[in-house]
Amino acid sequence: MNALLPEWLNPGPDEASFREMLAPDSRWTLELLAAQSRAITLRRFGRTMTLYAPLYLSNHCSSGCAYCGFASDRTTPRRRLEQEEIRKELAAMKRLGISDVLLLTGERTKAADFDYLRTSVATAAADMQRVTVEAFPMSVAEYRELAEAGCTGITIYQETYDRARYAELHRWGPKKDFLERLDTPSRALEGGIKTAGLGVLLGLADPQEDALMLYRHLRHLGKTYWRAGLSLSFPRIRPQTGSYQPPFTISDHLLARMIFAFRIALPDVELVLSTRESPAFRDGMAGLGITRMSIASRTTVGGYSDTESGDRGQFDIFDDRSAEAFCKALREKNIEPVFKNWEHAYNGPSSAEKS
Amino acid sequence: MDSLHLGSYTFSSRLILGTGKFSSSSVMLEAIKASGTGLVTVALRRFNREQPEDDLFTPLSAIPGITLMPNTSGASTAAEAVQAARISRELSGSPFIKVEIHPNPQHLMPDPIETYEASKILAKEGFLVMPYIPADPVLAKRLEEAGCASVMPLGSAIGSGQGLATAEMLRIIIRESNIPVIVDAGLRSPSEAALAMEMGCGAVLVNSAVAVAGDPPAMAEAFAEAVAAGRKAFRAGIMQKSGMAVATSPLTAFLGPAS
Amino acid sequence: MPQIVTIQLNGEPFTLPRCSSVSDLLTTIASEGKTVATVLNDQIVRPENRSAARLEEGDRVEILIFAGGG
Repeated sequence: MNALLPEWLNPGPDEASFREMLAPDSRWTLELLAAQSRAITLRRFGRTMTLYAPLYLSNHCSSGCAYCGFASDRTTPRRRLEQEEIRKELAAMKRLGISDVLLLTGERTKAADFDYLRTSVATAAADMQRVTVEAFPMSVAEYRELAEAGCTGITIYQETYDRARYAELHRWGPKKDFLERLDTPSRALEGGIKTAGLGVLLGLADPQEDALMLYRHLRHLGKTYWRAGLSLSFPRIRPQTGSYQPPFTISDHLLARMIFAFRIALPDVELVLSTRESPAFRDGMAGLGITRMSIASRTTVGGYSDTESGDRGQFDIFDDRSAEAFCKALREKNIEPVFKNWEHAYNGPSSAEKS
Repeated sequence: MDSLHLGSYTFSSRLILGTGKFSSSSVMLEAIKASGTGLVTVALRRFNREQPEDDLFTPLSAIPGITLMPNTSGASTAAEAVQAARISRELSGSPFIKVEIHPNPQHLMPDPIETYEASKILAKEGFLVMPYIPADPVLAKRLEEAGCASVMPLGSAIGSGQGLATAEMLRIIIRESNIPVIVDAGLRSPSEAALAMEMGCGAVLVNSAVAVAGDPPAMAEAFAEAVAAGRKAFRAGIMQKSGMAVATSPLTAFLGPAS
Repeated sequence: MPQIVTIQLNGEPFTLPRCSSVSDLLTTIASEGKTVATVLNDQIVRPENRSAARLEEGDRVEILIFAGGG
């Protein structure tokens, strides 16, 4: 099975120190890593935190991911937002101060297909400074169209790089194809999307192994698509609608260690932390390595305008502070919350010249 | 076997030697033999009837295992470099060309724009293009895309012996590059060559440091050993520095005790 | 009609008999047997074409070798 893996996932000569930093019993204490990581973050990103919020467009899904609240065998009511509803959600988000939005869907379905997504991107791009997408894998041509509609970044998690675990967890649907998914960030960048966000769902497999593979994937993308921006998220599994019990528990200490190690090893990569994490953890990590956070998030479809809904989202929010409260906490740490780190005028596809 | 691959060529030594500034051809040839190098750069010059022994082709070709990499030094524009490369290929029969364009004879800094233009043309003509460039990460990627076989950023100014003054830029170039990065120019001592290799360079090119040493063949050998040691260390995975000052108030107290 | 022509050889004036070829020039300056490149008016003249390449008044000829250089 491993014979089919691309060469860039093989161990490289430059990863020894990264591997060492990841090991909890290494001579790198957490405090040492934190000091180094903080110094690099400060130098490279300053005292700022860019903020975004997710907007769930649709929870229709064709895949059977064992860990996901939106998997196609769940009884969750299905719906998608129509363009008018999207505008209403965006307006509600803007009232919260948000101008950088991540649009989400499930895997490709008839109800939420490429045309729907492209139209939704255009709708969002008319209202927001920056629109990124976390949806299903697409072709280079589709990514090109998405970029032209105003999408500047995509997020696509491999979930785990452990192929055996991956095969068990992705029970059916298009997401079963490990290599197709592995290749997706490359297709997006090829298609003119400017930034690609990677991640694994922490808890599904051995976290240190997955971190190493992520490191190799990011290195490969950085070398091949050297004009692209890269980001890395650290989603950690907590109890969800599907009641999935992860085989690995990722402690706060291990997660912090991973974040520091990535910041030190890949100083230019944007490191992202969502509202899955606790206020204490998020506040603590601000300034130490994380440079982008979601705020005031709703993970249900239509959650911004209908705040009374009892639906459960894709995952439960831990940090449910308002945008205002969260920004206040950042400012108390002498970190400036940045709502607009992007200008509309830059929203076209990247023009990677191939000579 | 950890070899340097350039095009279809394989070199067991990661040291490349220049042939200028030696006190005599015979010392230079001894140094080349002592270094164990497989790739040597030579310059195209007008034949001088008064000094017919200047010709290096014949003696260099007599050393087994040597491939010539002509350079375009003397060219100050892309057009001149392209012409020099074509003539050199006639003469050497080697596809290697070190594109070296420096319009200013004082500091001999490479012209990035002319170098890029010449490299693009020569790569299309099937040369194994080895451009000598300022340590500029974006230029390095553009040259990689143009089809160069390697990039040769300068460690510091030619002949300056200031070592790896551009270390930070070199680190970025090495990190981002899919083709071998060869530090050219500025190396003074074997330890600097070892450091370049430890950083992950594919090879180093040395000239002045060997040519002007008291005993050039011995210095060539010292560089060869340093290059091999640095490469071995890089491959072995070098321990990271630690011992950074720890903040007076712990940064990770918010995490609570480890469970 | 003069029996000699003047060419520019490596940037310097140089005279040789009318109807000389590039090969003849190489013999004259004793570079024969050495590995040189010849360029006539910016065109490379390969070794196999040197006897056929006639030199005319005002031609620019470059005879080049590999020398030391970084």
